[in-house]
Amino acid sequence: SAAPRRPWKVFGAMCLLRLPRITQPLEKEEEEMAALMAQIEMEKSHYSDHEIRKLEEEEQLKRRKESLYDEDEAPGKTVIMAQDLEEKWEQKFLRFKAAPRITDADKSNDRTSLNRKLDSNLMLLVKQKIGNQELWLLPQVEWQPGETLRSTAERAMATFLGDHIQAKVLGNAPHGIYKYKFPRAIRTENNVGAKVFFFKAFLQSSDLSQAELKSDYLWVTKKELGDYLKSEYLKKVNRFLLD
Amino acid sequence: DALLGCHRSYRSRPTHGIGKFKYLLPKEVPKKRKEKVQMKEISAGTEYQYGDINIQMTSNDLCLVEHFAQYVHRLCNRLSIRVNESYAMPTKTNEVLFLEERGSKMQLDAVLTTHQRVVQIRGLSSTFAPILLEIIQSNQPEGVHLLMKQHTEADFKSRLKSRPELEELLAQMS
Repeated sequence: SAAPRRPWKVFGAMCLLRLPRITQPLEKEEEEMAALMAQIEMEKSHYSDHEIRKLEEEEQLKRRKESLYDEDEAPGKTVIMAQDLEEKWEQKFLRFKAAPRITDADKSNDRTSLNRKLDSNLMLLVKQKIGNQELWLLPQVEWQPGETLRSTAERAMATFLGDHIQAKVLGNAPHGIYKYKFPRAIRTENNVGAKVFFFKAFLQSSDLSQAELKSDYLWVTKKELGDYLKSEYLKKVNRFLLD
Repeated sequence: DALLGCHRSYRSRPTHGIGKFKYLLPKEVPKKRKEKVQMKEISAGTEYQYGDINIQMTSNDLCLVEHFAQYVHRLCNRLSIRVNESYAMPTKTNEVLFLEERGSKMQLDAVLTTHQRVVQIRGLSSTFAPILLEIIQSNQPEGVHLLMKQHTEADFKSRLKSRPELEELLAQMS
């Protein structure tokens, strides 16, 4: 039901989120609590099979050292001692190296890479020209009559990142809206202002190897959004962002 | 004889049936174990509502999965989403054998158990569903796989055990 003369221009914008890969570090109280609970559980728990076996074998060893008559019984029994198994597991564990948590914080804050800040959400910001200003915005594209708003947002994403992105849009309903009026110089009867509808999508795969289009792009966290976006825009965008 | 003497009132006495109380209790109908019929409702329109949705959480760590399932259940209670049931699927045990061929062939065994918890939800509106999904996704602990899907009859049947003798007898009869 489109009125013939719509004074508002409609845009669809896409907020592309990269989900965190690692959990956030625990707070001090959480760590203390976790340590305390672990200690309580350890003291309350029973011995496992492996531990019982280990204790028995230690006792056998002791008996063998003190008195020599157990030697004839023992040889066929325990080929692999529990202690040996434990040592083997320890060695294997030491050989394992976990990937570093702080990858590109070393890279002197390179905001265009996706590997930064693995424990929080990253959002895509693109520099777009609106009117005569170049602004940092979430990628947006004008709505064309006859297509759904969601496909507008997907098209916005496709224009800036290429076609082969595996992003999953959540639902058909927009998550937020920002409307603004054009400055008086451009305002005509038909174009009072514009409304931007925001959609959210999750990035599935983490490699963006296809060609990025000419405009600059950034991946920023929620806190760093304030550096780039205008305050009104930022307020509306912050309303639908979880931390 | 004093032990054998019973003080039951005889039927003609007015105090007959003085100790009866069962007629005062509410009537209990013994419930027969019947298969519950599943109800599915999708009403298309502006208020698009999902039918039964299963949120399945699988992991190797039992405590994590249980706590996460409890968290999801409580979250739905707080957001006033109706939770039909929350149950657990039987655990699967996997034996991992390492065949190291350096020198002597050693087989190191590891026994892994996979646990699965399911929370069933009804009446999720489509405007709210992405928000819920995002909340659950952002609070996922490590090592827990999350799966949200619609409830089907196959899912329901997977919880029941098949009775081979009954099926044999039925096949013999027909």
